[in-house]
Amino acid sequence: MLDTRYRVEIPGGINLDAQVVGPIPRFFAFAIDLCIRGVIIFVLSLMSIPFGTFGVGGGFFLILLFAIEWLYPVLFEVFWRGQTPGKKALGISVINDDLTPVSLGTSLVRNLLRTVDFLPLFYLAGLVTMLSNRHFQRLGDLAAGTLVISVRESARAAPVPDIEPLAPSTPLLRTEQTSIIDFLQRSPQLSGPRQQELADILEGVTHQKGDDGVRQLHRIGAWFLGLR
Amino acid sequence: MDLDKLQVNACTRSGWQAVDLGFQMARAWFRPLYLAGVMAMLPLTAVLLLLFWKSPFWALAIAWWLKPFWERLPLFIASRKLFDEDAGVWQSFRSFPVKDILPWLLWRRFSMQRAFDNPVTVLEELRGGQRRQRLRVLHGKYSDVALGNQFVCFCFELLVCFGIALTLDFFTPESLDLKVYDRYGDLTLVGEWMFTLSALLAMTLVMPFHSMAGFALYLNRRIELEAWDIEISFRNLVQRKRSDVTRSTGLLASVLLAGLVGLAASGGAEAALEHDRSSASDLIAEVLQGEDYGQEKVVRKWRFKDWSEEVEEESFPEWLIEFLEWWEQNIQWSTDFSGAAFWLKLLLVLLFLGCAGYLLWRYRGPLARLGGKSPEAAVPEVLFGLDVTPQSLPPDVPAQVMRLWGEDAYREALGLLYRASLSRLIDKYELAFRASHTEAECASLVKARGIESLSDYFWQLTRVWRELAYGHRIPAKERVQQLCHGWSRELSDEPH
Repeated sequence: MLDTRYRVEIPGGINLDAQVVGPIPRFFAFAIDLCIRGVIIFVLSLMSIPFGTFGVGGGFFLILLFAIEWLYPVLFEVFWRGQTPGKKALGISVINDDLTPVSLGTSLVRNLLRTVDFLPLFYLAGLVTMLSNRHFQRLGDLAAGTLVISVRESARAAPVPDIEPLAPSTPLLRTEQTSIIDFLQRSPQLSGPRQQELADILEGVTHQKGDDGVRQLHRIGAWFLGLR
Repeated sequence: MDLDKLQVNACTRSGWQAVDLGFQMARAWFRPLYLAGVMAMLPLTAVLLLLFWKSPFWALAIAWWLKPFWERLPLFIASRKLFDEDAGVWQSFRSFPVKDILPWLLWRRFSMQRAFDNPVTVLEELRGGQRRQRLRVLHGKYSDVALGNQFVCFCFELLVCFGIALTLDFFTPESLDLKVYDRYGDLTLVGEWMFTLSALLAMTLVMPFHSMAGFALYLNRRIELEAWDIEISFRNLVQRKRSDVTRSTGLLASVLLAGLVGLAASGGAEAALEHDRSSASDLIAEVLQGEDYGQEKVVRKWRFKDWSEEVEEESFPEWLIEFLEWWEQNIQWSTDFSGAAFWLKLLLVLLFLGCAGYLLWRYRGPLARLGGKSPEAAVPEVLFGLDVTPQSLPPDVPAQVMRLWGEDAYREALGLLYRASLSRLIDKYELAFRASHTEAECASLVKARGIESLSDYFWQLTRVWRELAYGHRIPAKERVQQLCHGWSRELSDEPH
């Protein structure tokens, strides 16, 4: 089964799921960060002009340039939940491969190895490694043991529908319950005939056909949503 | 369309996640997709290259313009692979999808969402007004993602092309005398060929990813609009109920048969009926739905324990604002900075000293241990819950052991012998037992001491003690007597 899911099982048999992020969103995140860094460096270079190009100003500027180039991603990743501004904009973040937050050490390793990923020009090595392993890790990620995953936005709670709930006639597994709730909540996007088609599959559970089946399923969904 | 055979996990994804899924698809099916792309492209491109051998960029431009044509075969194969049908490259080559190709090579060549729109033409075979209407439904909120896909894949193509060309240029030996640039800095014919071939290679390499990303976006939209995931889940539910029924009837029949033949007692049969697997799983599902178990808690963020929720984490720190205001008011920009270097130096030195100080303080524990000998580990007084101080022992240990044994206090008797041994070993042989050691680790420490008779004895004693303590196996009285003699021989104070 092809998927972008990354799963870690922690003691107690609990599965933690995350969605790994591929090259396209990461490209945009990087581009945004690049622009931000560019603006910062531009402003700094303007500020350093009155200090003299080769004197104190130049030296100060070079030190700052170094710090920004190397520490910008590290500081953001460590202190801002694994997100640089670009990553934040794309809703992605860096995380250890056991799904714990990145620490200073891992973030440093993954960002120092950018030089290797950059080879032979503009991150070709990084792109090739990303596409040659299942979790889209570039060389720096592999060395540091980190992943880039998408941050789940907390889903806005859908309004609870105003219909009379109905207890299901037969016990259902949790996944089945959620798909019935999904059916209820996504029905505005589904066409009428498609809804009937889906409801007809569950004729054995609802004992209704067609439109009645759809209504019945909606009521069961409302019951699973907590209406009583 | 048989959703049971769907090879991707159907669930609702965001646009970017769908594109990532497309990249996974391209990874999984890379060989057939790549081969199909190359096979569709190779014959005509070879002819073009021969025709324009003096200016291969023309061949490249034409091949690039014909991209919508090359991309169709990989897409066709992927649509078969998606439902686990193995479409051989040759076989799909014969049913090459060429319908409605002309618009795609003329005005639609400028479309920025080609990979996303392609499936509607190639797989659904819609055209004209029908196609437009379908696209309006499909595009929805994903136009920007489709655009992003096109843009980034174009960048990747350039990147791969120049990467290959540059690497080739780097690794061409000087002696071959292949000049890429002439003395005016223009590309030579060799250079043009090098870039053309690199670009063609880059095009074929990136194409599977680009078209699969668009295809996955299209799929994602259909999963959303047609609720494929819900259909799969509903079908599984029906399947589960049906197999539950067959299982329970099968079990019922076998139980009845067993009852008839008289192999099973009727009580046992009833118990089996109560706990057969299908009804049990129903029961479990019912219990899990109840108030006690049916609680779900969604935690989406990492946070520290006891972290106050009120802290506004993204707020700008107050002191920084104050500092910036102070900076603005009090620091005059001027060109005289003779003192600035000194202050900067001082600042850096102070910063360094601060860091060094902090590190020293942070790692004071390990550093202290580095310097001197590690502090003497305290002699343990209690091992495995046994008091091993010399004061706790009776004057004549073997006699006391045998007396306790006579009173049937086996555990106390052997416990006394064992802890007396440990105590003596600590006292007399200065063995560094720690409270964290196990019995076997103690025994191997004794062995490491190098006195063979002693370690033999202690191994025996440990084994007997462990069997009694944990296995509740009482040894023979002779064995205990033997151990007592051994103790007097090996561990008592009197010279033997």
